[in-house]
Amino acid sequence: MRSVVSSMRTLPELQADFLRAILDSSAEGISDAIVGGIIGPQRRLAVYTNNVETNFRAALLSIFPAIGRLVGDAYFTQCAREFRRAHPSRCGDLTPAGTAFPQYLAARHAEDRFRYLGDVARLEGLYHECLTAAEHPAFDHTKLAALAADDYDHVLFGLHPSARLFTSPFPAVAIWEANVASDAEPELIDLDRGGDRVLLIRRDYGVVFRSLGVGEYAFLESLSHGTPFAAAIAAASDAADAADAAECDASFDAVAALPAFVQAGAIVGFTMGVSRA
Amino acid sequence: MRAITPASARRESVPAAAGIGLRAQHHREVQGGAPTIGWFEAHAENYFAAGGPAIECLERIRAHYPLSLHGVGLSLGSTDPLDECHLENLRRVIARFEPGLVSEHLSWSSFGGRFANDLLPLPYTQEALAHVSTRIAEVQDRLGRQILIENVSSYLQFTGSEMTEWEFVADVAARSGCAILLDLNNLYVAAHNHGFDAARYLQAMPVAAVQELHLAGHSSVDCDGGELLIDTHDGPVCDAVWDLYRAALRRFGPLPTLIEWDTEIPTLAILGAEAAKADAVCRELYAHAA
Repeated sequence: MRSVVSSMRTLPELQADFLRAILDSSAEGISDAIVGGIIGPQRRLAVYTNNVETNFRAALLSIFPAIGRLVGDAYFTQCAREFRRAHPSRCGDLTPAGTAFPQYLAARHAEDRFRYLGDVARLEGLYHECLTAAEHPAFDHTKLAALAADDYDHVLFGLHPSARLFTSPFPAVAIWEANVASDAEPELIDLDRGGDRVLLIRRDYGVVFRSLGVGEYAFLESLSHGTPFAAAIAAASDAADAADAAECDASFDAVAALPAFVQAGAIVGFTMGVSRA
Repeated sequence: MRAITPASARRESVPAAAGIGLRAQHHREVQGGAPTIGWFEAHAENYFAAGGPAIECLERIRAHYPLSLHGVGLSLGSTDPLDECHLENLRRVIARFEPGLVSEHLSWSSFGGRFANDLLPLPYTQEALAHVSTRIAEVQDRLGRQILIENVSSYLQFTGSEMTEWEFVADVAARSGCAILLDLNNLYVAAHNHGFDAARYLQAMPVAAVQELHLAGHSSVDCDGGELLIDTHDGPVCDAVWDLYRAALRRFGPLPTLIEWDTEIPTLAILGAEAAKADAVCRELYAHAA
């Protein structure tokens, strides 16, 4: 009777059962639709199941190589398998499949001594985004020169499409650097040595990291949210003052910030915001 | 409906010679050394990003070499709606790099929005034939060009199939108007795994539709007392596939021929030597015409 049932499956029904078999390892629902012989349906299906796992793992590893090196092959494979089941690929291109991998790792290690893994993964995700973001023409200074002094407050400065901001209580950048360079010597990194606050920006086909002060971070973060210049400066100064009060060295030079980040290629253009007047 | 340019009319930019798959490991060497390779194939999905060094690199390589763009993720045989985002990305990459050939696979990959990201086999039924042919025709219409469809390696057959794989492939080409990218390693692997005659498959292919050939290495696994060949692309082309290549060249004439080597990727020199071997095989058969 099963062969009669199988021959009556429509194409959508066959694809539903087949995909369930190889993604969820529930092969019993499809075996009758597969020609047997010396090599049985289960073993034949296992080739596809293995391909799915191998392809997914490879795609994840290509974006998170430092995580792969930090946790080792076996654990990375286990994480990739578990993550894939919770977050299956939704696209014919596997590149976006790892988008939620940093959150997955952070949740998995929220309470243990590997709490930094989620942040290192988040950094790797941002690094990939930075590396593959769109190009943008250099800042056109002549347009800025034409701006009246009174207009500055309302200007919305735009960041380069590759600009990414990263902050972590852990020294994630140092951990990442120690685990992506193939010739790097093993290095002991003190997790309590202080965290990161950095700008990632693509320059000359590579990603450049720039450490940021508290105020600088708040300034760029405000700009990235579409905050007008004056309000972004105010937010940056407030953040720096709050950090100062907490006895951190967090001076923010409001005059130097704009030219510095234009020079760094992080601020690449502007539009006029709505005047408050 | 927009006019569809036949692949053969564009093929002048991808010569009837051997090419190799472009891999990130070789980007720098290809740009710097100008190796004598007939053409390169790039995987479309590797260039879906908005920008960055890989795209810059392919633009520089494209300026000096003919290019074939090969997709792996369009899931043409799937009964899910066509992925508009994927198709738009493909259209954008085609516009950017102006490849001489554009190809995809005769397979499916998704159901209900979940993707296996593997080249899954279709049942060879009238229903599947009508479905995939319509999809291919739609994609060609949307892209405004003919695409090549590649036969895939397969490790199982469906009890519900109503025709042979070669009948299915030939009918898809006839119904959709697509060209055929005949992967001889896939053909060899499938023939071994399912016990059919590769020569019979070759004879069933419509000569005018076959526009490109693929050659690759495979591996084998013992299972349940039998042997399955797996399309691993991890080594040199085996002697039996070279023999199949000779038979294909006799039947179809000289064609763009890709050396695929995607895992355990060797040096560019080794890939170049494999491509030179393919060119030599073609010269043996067609020296008189040169």
